[in-house]
Amino acid sequence: MKNVVRTAIVSAAVLLCCVRFPVGAAAQELSAEAKDKEVAAARAKRNALQFENNARTIVFYDRAGNRTGALGERALYGETIMSPDRSRVAVVKNDLANESADIFILDIATGASTRLTTSARTEFVMAPVWSPDGSRIAYVTILKGQEGIYVRPSNGQGSPELLFQNPGAFLNLSDWSSDGRYLTYAFSDMSGGTLYTLPLAGGPDRKPTQIAHSDLRMFAPKFSPDGRFLSYIVIDKENRPEVFVRSLDPAATAGPWQISEGAASEAYWRRDGKELYYLSRDQSVMVADVSTAPTFSFSKPKVLFKQQAAVPDRLGNVSADGERFLALPPPRGPQLQQITIFDRHGEIVQKVGDPGLYQGPSFSPDGTHLLVTKNDRQTAQSDLWTIELASGKQTRLTNDTFPKVNPLWSPDGKYIYYSSFRNGDFPVYRKLSDGSGNEEIVFRYTPGAFVGLSDFSPDGKFLICDSGGIILAVPLTGDPASRKEIEFLREEFTDGIGRMSPDGKFMAFRSDEAKPEQGEVYVRPFNAATGLPGDGKWRVSKEGVLAMLHWRADGKEMFFRGQNLENNELLVMSVDVSTSPTFTAGTPKVLFKLPGPLGGNLGNISRDGQRFVFAINVPSTGTR
Amino acid sequence: MTRRIVISLAFLLLPFGRTASAHHNMTALFDFNDRVTLTGTLTKVDWRNPHTYLIVDVKNAKGAVESWSAEGPSPSWFRIRDIGKADFEASLSKSLTLELSRARDKSLSGLLRTITMPNGRVVSACPQNC
Repeated sequence: MKNVVRTAIVSAAVLLCCVRFPVGAAAQELSAEAKDKEVAAARAKRNALQFENNARTIVFYDRAGNRTGALGERALYGETIMSPDRSRVAVVKNDLANESADIFILDIATGASTRLTTSARTEFVMAPVWSPDGSRIAYVTILKGQEGIYVRPSNGQGSPELLFQNPGAFLNLSDWSSDGRYLTYAFSDMSGGTLYTLPLAGGPDRKPTQIAHSDLRMFAPKFSPDGRFLSYIVIDKENRPEVFVRSLDPAATAGPWQISEGAASEAYWRRDGKELYYLSRDQSVMVADVSTAPTFSFSKPKVLFKQQAAVPDRLGNVSADGERFLALPPPRGPQLQQITIFDRHGEIVQKVGDPGLYQGPSFSPDGTHLLVTKNDRQTAQSDLWTIELASGKQTRLTNDTFPKVNPLWSPDGKYIYYSSFRNGDFPVYRKLSDGSGNEEIVFRYTPGAFVGLSDFSPDGKFLICDSGGIILAVPLTGDPASRKEIEFLREEFTDGIGRMSPDGKFMAFRSDEAKPEQGEVYVRPFNAATGLPGDGKWRVSKEGVLAMLHWRADGKEMFFRGQNLENNELLVMSVDVSTSPTFTAGTPKVLFKLPGPLGGNLGNISRDGQRFVFAINVPSTGTR
Repeated sequence: MTRRIVISLAFLLLPFGRTASAHHNMTALFDFNDRVTLTGTLTKVDWRNPHTYLIVDVKNAKGAVESWSAEGPSPSWFRIRDIGKADFEASLSKSLTLELSRARDKSLSGLLRTITMPNGRVVSACPQNC
């Protein structure tokens, strides 16, 4: 933080010099250079924090679920694929500074790392698959806007060879057949999924063969060792991933077969084709006995082992002999959250319930309840719950696998509003906050477009939300199916998190107008008759804002979450404001700090501005 | 940059793979297998969220001028790649080359994949727009 302030002071001094002693272009260039340096320094700090918060190590388990070893340095790993002989791991590492990702080969015995690819800035490599003899790696990359499948020797020598130029993008390469003759990949978008095989014979004019198409998304096809079947993942209409197997014979009439009853990973075949592994939704490593001759058959999957940690490691790969299970522990170690309420000085006034996996606690308008998103490890579901603060009584509001985004209390506290991604669409729903009744659809925006809810007008007539950098006011009148949004703000900057002043006359929002990649709080008048902005705009913050915009109920104070690039501290910022006769704002000050990383959401400040609720990270117990 | 980081981290979290997604269902509106490369004169720039639009006058095979509309990523997407509204406005009335995925309704419009600016700089809108 000190450096940012120092840099800002230096920048300001340079600007002042230019004003007082205009010396032409040279001075302006110096100012631009200083600004570039400031932006670069801020980026470097953001990257360092991103790395610190998200870097992981690689670990191994045996079939009994015992951790047997670790590999490699902490890094931002993407895919981690073991070689067929289990001696090496092909990993994709993300480079935040270069905005790229590359493949490295890690030797399990020695830990030695060999760089396989070197991407240009903003280009990246993904989806490595090993050739059956381990001598080559095929992978996907986008070069100058063209996605393709390439292959190169796995020892880091030689040049890449283009195998297939994809006309589109988002190709999900996932396996190389045991006979070395085919690759397989999937393509999925919001309209469904398709499985393909790609013959490696035939030179640059290779044509993929479509194996199956579905209006459901499909991923991660894997050849059975005899090359006669594909396992793959289907995301069903309830948003649940499941493992399926189907024949590669176009004349086959049997199948496909659903293997799993709730999956959380792709499937892995054992080299002899007798076992199939996957991760279940409760994070157990599952195994199904399978046979591919004379036709496909399988037994009911059973638990091979279950991790005991409260926050389990993520299964990354299974060796071809079924003896080693590669996993990625959670970044920064296993952690749970304790819902904790603080006062204006940052002192703890109440701990609510037991530690769990929580997100986004927010106060009800009357301050008696909390709304929280709770993740259930057993079902891998995230659902909305309310907690009565006086009694601790918890009430479940939803029970499904769909994501519930930006849940908000209605101004009268009777309903919870949220958006939810369902089958390619992102409608807004509401449900009674006492848990009774069914959810109702409230608003449907452009098909497929994300909608983030941020507030209501005080009279409840408008729902405020944002999508794609546009702030929308949705009149909550008439038939929900025909509701039409009003574009409150649509400009070249990314605007969002619209928050209405208690008197309904102004809207505060976050915008990156002042500086790319850094939001600041602005305020504009809100015309309640039209849903459009009035004349005037005020910038409230100066040093970056992450989220958590909040007006105190009397309209005399505003809060927001400040940004500290030096560490993960969460800064609760406060600024004195007035909305009468017009908007005025004082100088923002730090109210208190909390150690992070920590999410700061909307609604986690009580209406009177006296209590602040956060889901604080606490160490979990019971890890093995 | 921020978006790229978000995408990178999203990749880390995705257990199965990437899915094409955007502000709207692009595959419903545009055919990614039907590409066209156009060279013409930039006549209009609409620089707003969530998508930018470039209007380019292109001579067809018969010599008639057709006005094509190219939908690009958001202004912020360009901004964090150090290319902005001013660069496009400075290119008005100049020649540039676009590669588009054509609209499924076969109108004179498409989704921008790559653009070659008048100064020769190539900007790729992938993977967002591929």
